[in-house]
Amino acid sequence: MNAPDRYERFVVPEGTKKVSFEKDTKIMNAASFTIEREDHTVGNILRMQLHRDPNVLFAGYKLPHPLQYKVIVRIHTASQSSPTQAYTQAINDLDKELENLKQAFEDEKNRHEERMKQGY
Amino acid sequence: MERPATGVTYQRFPRVKIRELKDDYAKFELRDTCASMANALRRVMIAEVPTVAIDLVEIESNSSVLNDEFIAHRLGLIPLTSSAAMGMRFSRDCDACDGDGSCEHCSVEFHLAARATDSGQTLEVTSTKDLRSTDPKVCPVDQAREYQQALGNIDPYDGDPQGDHRGILIVKLRRGQELRLRAIARKGIGKDHAKWSPAATVTFMYEPDIRINEELMETLTLEEKTSWVESSPTKVFDIDPNTQQVVVSDPEAYTYDDEVIKKAEAMGKPGLIEINAKEDSFVFTVETTGALTAYELIMNAITVLRQKLDAVRLQDDDADLGELGAHL
Ligand SMILES: [Zn+2]
Repeated sequence: MNAPDRYERFVVPEGTKKVSFEKDTKIMNAASFTIEREDHTVGNILRMQLHRDPNVLFAGYKLPHPLQYKVIVRIHTASQSSPTQAYTQAINDLDKELENLKQAFEDEKNRHEERMKQGY
Repeated sequence: MERPATGVTYQRFPRVKIRELKDDYAKFELRDTCASMANALRRVMIAEVPTVAIDLVEIESNSSVLNDEFIAHRLGLIPLTSSAAMGMRFSRDCDACDGDGSCEHCSVEFHLAARATDSGQTLEVTSTKDLRSTDPKVCPVDQAREYQQALGNIDPYDGDPQGDHRGILIVKLRRGQELRLRAIARKGIGKDHAKWSPAATVTFMYEPDIRINEELMETLTLEEKTSWVESSPTKVFDIDPNTQQVVVSDPEAYTYDDEVIKKAEAMGKPGLIEINAKEDSFVFTVETTGALTAYELIMNAITVLRQKLDAVRLQDDDADLGELGAHL
């Protein structure tokens, strides 16, 4: 009866920002990014990509509650970098990786079809 | 500690090897990436690649034994060819219509009219025979298959001569019973309702790295080897009939059950075998409902994931604020 509508899980309500972030008040170069209407899919790849950056001292994500459709990504970096820089870099790297993967798949499909034609 | 300057990229360059690719099935190896990426692709394939499915049904007449809601639900679950879905609009975003009519940007209209004659026998109402689409691009997958078969376009190794080609049974009508309805199919994603999921199953496993300690293995008698090989619930190992050596016959049959490791310990031979998961190599299997081909599903999943990442970028005003904050 009071269940939320299904679309609530993936439609960002009007007037809400998709991504917002808040700097930590006590620690330098630490911030929490709140991403609306996303889940483990985005949270986990961002976290793992951030771990590849040596300037990132800490990166983690959480889903605060199953009925709050958002993820919180927390980043703490060394002074050479900043959480926003690391966050943007992680997205850029993931995007390029996927662009690359798409090309790799297209090429491999052609090679596979060639192999099939030659009968092995 | 020495730390590199910012702006350095830590991008990965994944490699792919396709083992098998059919219309609705794919098996491939994905290497040089991490489990989070493999899992993100799996999750997107299941829940976020859009398809088209029946979402609104107006029943004109239903004297069958199934109630209206039951039939509407069954219609929703019929897979429809959805290659056009990526280019369609979601009804809620469509500004060309009010969302419940037939609009070329966001919906496809279907009609169904069936009646069992007073004298005839029980009539089977099916997706192949009775569900009529107004757009040839979007139709029940069995109809599309029949059409391709008639054209001779279906690969022989994909054809199933023993298969059931009657399509999906919607309802059975007895003498005099009738079903007439109009249905609207819309674009949607599996996260909203499973009927929109193009995936039947998507799984991935870590490729195992199996190392036998040959020296220790040679201290075993043939009976001991046989008993050890048979301790694995799946057929991972075999004994070479000529050399009587234990060989790994199918590493991917290993289910990470640890049985052979426990058996080696019980036999007083710890370290006989070492099995590790290669953390950057995955074997994927993808099976679709027929709404998309397996290849389309994979490619669309990559596209959708990129769109998702693009949507979570910081906007310019956020970044300025961040920089400003960093200098305070
Ligand atoms: Zn529309």
